[in-house]
Amino acid sequence: MSALSELSHLKGGKQESADNKSAYVFLLPWLLGLFIITLGPMVASLYLSFTDYSLLADPEWIGLKNYQRMFTDPRLLNSLAVTFTYVFVSTPMQLALALGIAVLLNQGMRGLAFYRSVFYLPSLMGSSVAIAILWRQIFGTSGLVNQFLVYLGFKNPPGWIADPSTALWTIILLHVWTFGSPMIIFLAGLRQIPGMYYEAASVDGASKWTQFWQVTMPLLTPIIFFNLVLQIIGAFQSFTQAFVVSGGTGGPSDSTMFYTLYLYQKGFGQFEMGYASAMAWLLLFIVGAFTAVNFFASKYWVFYDD
Amino acid sequence: MGRLNTGVAKAAALLLAAGLALTGCASGSTGSTAAKASDAKVELRFMWWGNDTRNAMTMKVIEAYQAANPNVTIKPEPTDWGSYWDKLATMTAGNNTPDVIQMDEKYIAEYGSKGVLLDLEKAGVKTDGFAPGTIDLGRVKGKLFGVNAGINAPIVLANPKVISAAGATLPDDKTWTWDQLNAFAKGVTEKSPQGTYGSQNYGAVEPMLRVYLRQNGQDEYSDAGVGFDAPLLGTWFENMQARTADKTFPSAAEATEDMGKALDQTMAATNKAGLFYYWSNQVSALDKATGQDLKLMRPPSKTGSAKDAQLWYKASMYWSGSAKSKNAAEVAKFVSFLSSNIEAGKVMGTERGVPANLAVRDAVKAQLSASDKKVVAYLDAIDAERGKTPAITPVGGSDIQLGRYSQDVLFNKSTPAKAAEGLVNELKSKVKV
Repeated sequence: MSALSELSHLKGGKQESADNKSAYVFLLPWLLGLFIITLGPMVASLYLSFTDYSLLADPEWIGLKNYQRMFTDPRLLNSLAVTFTYVFVSTPMQLALALGIAVLLNQGMRGLAFYRSVFYLPSLMGSSVAIAILWRQIFGTSGLVNQFLVYLGFKNPPGWIADPSTALWTIILLHVWTFGSPMIIFLAGLRQIPGMYYEAASVDGASKWTQFWQVTMPLLTPIIFFNLVLQIIGAFQSFTQAFVVSGGTGGPSDSTMFYTLYLYQKGFGQFEMGYASAMAWLLLFIVGAFTAVNFFASKYWVFYDD
Repeated sequence: MGRLNTGVAKAAALLLAAGLALTGCASGSTGSTAAKASDAKVELRFMWWGNDTRNAMTMKVIEAYQAANPNVTIKPEPTDWGSYWDKLATMTAGNNTPDVIQMDEKYIAEYGSKGVLLDLEKAGVKTDGFAPGTIDLGRVKGKLFGVNAGINAPIVLANPKVISAAGATLPDDKTWTWDQLNAFAKGVTEKSPQGTYGSQNYGAVEPMLRVYLRQNGQDEYSDAGVGFDAPLLGTWFENMQARTADKTFPSAAEATEDMGKALDQTMAATNKAGLFYYWSNQVSALDKATGQDLKLMRPPSKTGSAKDAQLWYKASMYWSGSAKSKNAAEVAKFVSFLSSNIEAGKVMGTERGVPANLAVRDAVKAQLSASDKKVVAYLDAIDAERGKTPAITPVGGSDIQLGRYSQDVLFNKSTPAKAAEGLVNELKSKVKV
């Protein structure tokens, strides 16, 4: 790699500048999108978070009032609790399942390509509206699951999506069901582990179980870290599943009122877009904080093989 | 590396310029050209919520208007109820409000007081020939922001098949009390198959709550803001809890799920409830879904006399205009057509509610379906029994959260008294009079 960089230096200044210019031209569409669709609205949202904006009239500057109100808003604190529960329960469950299935698939078998596709399919469609509607049907009070339970003899099966104590779990289940994409990444990671480590380990008399924990897991830690960071960031922003399964209401007694769903209701339904903007920035801060913690902690458990 | 920095600076400058240029292009007009003379070409954008039936009817009315007024083109923008309000709020924020808007009583004060809606009287709309009191329902602080597009009232419906299958006879709706309704419904549940109940859970049905509040000397809203107190609401929630426990109402989970279903999938529409509670303009949809000739009944009263039921006429929806429209006079003319023109009224029938304009109502009566005839007869029957005209929902009052607090009570997450206090306090903090 260092040889290549020496080569590019030899090319000479003018050529380098011309190369950079053409690079920027090719990047232009993406950069335009970044400024217009992402950064511009972000700056606007920062401004709006210090205002009282009903969408129907012009924004009125109110300073930090929105942020102050957030600490005493019981529904917001509840939505944080719901979201934290969702993120920190479903992410480990999903990653554990993804890793487990990836290890199994890595053994190699007849029809491997078929199984891999079948397990990947749910994650393709999982965050779609169609699947969420389907989930709502299956877990309704007289949906597929309850009909099956009644057939098996249970007299009064729980309401699932209509019961505050189980509604969030149906959404967690939906998220865990979409384990396909982290699974594919784990599979790729497993393939990268040189077979010679396993051979050396079995020569030393290690069992399969010990090999898994002493060889596979340490070498997989970068992949686990990658999946963990990505899944946590994604889970904090979940919206579609909660919106569709609860019908836009946040579920029975706010039990599925995700942070993003509450933000949406505040901004578009209750004419409080300023408050919603402040909530958006708080979410950014929370996700950023957890990601930073992740990166900081990674020094202690992620093992890079170079 | 000086050359690199100039390159970056140039690229950044180009991008910012492009970005600004594109933002400038996006601001767009409301789609109508400046038209001072009434013969110049005018385009009006018209937005409403509805279903397939209503959309087809409305298109016919638009075509009739365009035929009679060849210089006017009307661009229809129908949506469904669920996304209507988000869409309208976002359009307004982008200075893109449609010229003619279908408006609801829950939001007319919100939109009106923020200067989004057109003062229709100033723009020249026709307000004569309407049933007494119906035009005033569209006033916010004296200004007319919406013309009554149809009248409805709260109504109790009874499913003859479910009730006769339980071997019960309906009480007389002119003399029944809440206790009689509850006892009757309990009897029906006991003799009905699993999953069928004598009554829908009326605890979370806002019009029924309003009837109860009015019968007890209060109301949902008053000119001072929130019109009811927590103790009274607490008794309502206690009743809901008791009726769920003794199986007059469906179970907590069944009731919660029912609250979120589309009309034609509810327990009422699928013949699983004996009594259910809706607005009168939903009767024909329910007749169709259940396949029955549902019986229309007044809500019960405390005293057993229909005169004490404290019913009222509500404007099911309004026709409003945008204050920023470039064609205010044309908007008022079209709104007058929608609400007072006999041919338009004949096309739309009672789908949006019974016409408030008396001439239109008489012209429409003859051609009504059996369902619609029942509804008109009901509204005529309660006319003399009506109580005080209710105040419209004030700014901030549209989000009463009755469903959520009901669910808290149903699932025992909160006592009726605490839930009532929570609801009233939350509502009070939002309402700005």
